[in-house]
Amino acid sequence: MKSADSMLNEELYQEYLKALLAGRHKECREKVQMLIHKGMGIKDLYTDLFQRSMYEVGELWENNRITVAREHLATSITDSLLNLVYPSLFATARTGKKAVVSCSVNEYHQIGAKMVADIFELHGWDGHFLGANTPAEDMVRFIHEVKPHVVGLSLSLLSNLDRLKHHIEVIRADFPQMDLLVGGQAFRWGGLEAVRSYGGTQYIPNLERLETTLAEA
Amino acid sequence: MQRHETTVNQPVEKEILFYLHNRAPLLFFVLDSKGHIVEANEHAETVTGIQLRGTPLADLVVDFSGTFNPGSFARECHKEHLLNIKTRWGLPQSYYFTFKEVRNQVLVFGRSDAEEIEGTRGKVQSLNEDLNNLARKLHKTNAQLEQLNRLKDQFLGMAAHDLRKPVSAIVHYTEFLLDEASEALTSEHVGFLQTIHSSTALMRRVIDDFLDVSLIESGRFHMNMAARSMEDPMNRSVALHRPVAKKRGVTLKVCLPCPLPMIPMDDFKIEQVLNNLISNAIEHSPPGGEVAMALSLTGEELRVAVRNAGEGIPARDLENLFEPFEGGQALKARGIRSTGLGLSISKKIIEAHQGRIWAENLHEGGAAFCFTLPMSPQNPTEQDP
Repeated sequence: MKSADSMLNEELYQEYLKALLAGRHKECREKVQMLIHKGMGIKDLYTDLFQRSMYEVGELWENNRITVAREHLATSITDSLLNLVYPSLFATARTGKKAVVSCSVNEYHQIGAKMVADIFELHGWDGHFLGANTPAEDMVRFIHEVKPHVVGLSLSLLSNLDRLKHHIEVIRADFPQMDLLVGGQAFRWGGLEAVRSYGGTQYIPNLERLETTLAEA
Repeated sequence: MQRHETTVNQPVEKEILFYLHNRAPLLFFVLDSKGHIVEANEHAETVTGIQLRGTPLADLVVDFSGTFNPGSFARECHKEHLLNIKTRWGLPQSYYFTFKEVRNQVLVFGRSDAEEIEGTRGKVQSLNEDLNNLARKLHKTNAQLEQLNRLKDQFLGMAAHDLRKPVSAIVHYTEFLLDEASEALTSEHVGFLQTIHSSTALMRRVIDDFLDVSLIESGRFHMNMAARSMEDPMNRSVALHRPVAKKRGVTLKVCLPCPLPMIPMDDFKIEQVLNNLISNAIEHSPPGGEVAMALSLTGEELRVAVRNAGEGIPARDLENLFEPFEGGQALKARGIRSTGLGLSISKKIIEAHQGRIWAENLHEGGAAFCFTLPMSPQNPTEQDP
């Protein structure tokens, strides 16, 4: 597997970002296919291309440089590009460990959580992803069914913090010992103290930290 | 709704008109008495992508019923009309239009429904997410199934490998008893031994097929390619089947062109294919029938056909005949014992030679199983099934 730097240089990244913001999904797809073909590792692809570009798109939206429609288009394109990685992602050797990753109710930004579930898969875990806007009761029912070792919760908008806390409380009621990971762009603006007050809850700021955490697990 | 009356003054009117003409995301046209555009704002030019002055507004409207009439619409000036406009992007866009007649001209305002557009966009995005999540699940399930399939093949290979030796021992010792001890046994006991022999021989064929499938699936079914004549495997296979054919009253006929070219092949694997096709043909032939093997050269290929004079193959079976167990179902339906893997293994072998294999019904009755081998395959030694 080749290093990310040797394949994804700054010029190529900027071209990709430009195509992503312009909604040129075919061009984005070709670039990702080319990187996969050249042997770029999945982890590098996720952190150096998908995560970096989506952070940048989010910042552009927050600073009123692009419209919400364009942000959603870039997200949809990235979401569809993940499909290119899946044939090799799910073929990795299994460890027998399981994780359930989800967004709480009213959270419609799913791509970050989905990438987290994928990184679990990359490390041989079964990374079950429940999607955006998942009611707490549905999530708990699924946890009972799958019996994961870890549950991951994503928060993109700080205004949804109370809903996330509700999810944590509902999970804790049935699974007091369950390891919980929380993350998402909302925590750049606050909310960390609130989630840390729940025992056994760890904040994961980015995919790199998740990688380290899983490597140590 | 309370209507706000504004005091119009020149600078305010000028600013509003400037905004309407250059910035506002709505369509604005001024029509003459014939419905031709005499003035349009910039947004209208952007959306339609054409020079609008002088163009009849009707030309921009997608009007399936042919009822669009700006004049009559202007007489209903408080009513909004939903119309679809041809755009520069190819797809029509919907606007709610208001027509108002002012001094022999018609002012036309078209607004898009932002609420509807945003609602639709949100739903499309949600559907797209659902689709991507389903695709993820599908990829994950596929990977799990592939893993299970690999485990199945490993198990199959191990079980077949361990079973082959004891089953072969039963076959050999039964043959020995039939040859050496038949005279000391009753005819009923000899019959038991013959049943044991034929049943274990079938069991060994099943095990051999399972081993082949296991090797094929694991990518270890290697071809030993060398330049050979088809005559050798054909002669060996025909010689092997003559006793069975004779017992069933079936004649074997071989038609070989002279001279046969030397072509790259794994002749033992090709013999395996011939054994499969010839034994099937004998089993399908009625007593007194004929099984004919014909070789021919066509262009860059050597073609082999094994014909029988049986009932032919039902059309519904022809397509799946070479899929694992499908061919076996067709044979079993005729009371013929088969592993159901022989034809699929034959297909893998022929494809590894870059050839083709198929079955067809004959006009004169019966069926033919045919395969081709290329005279000059590309990179023949690298081809594994």
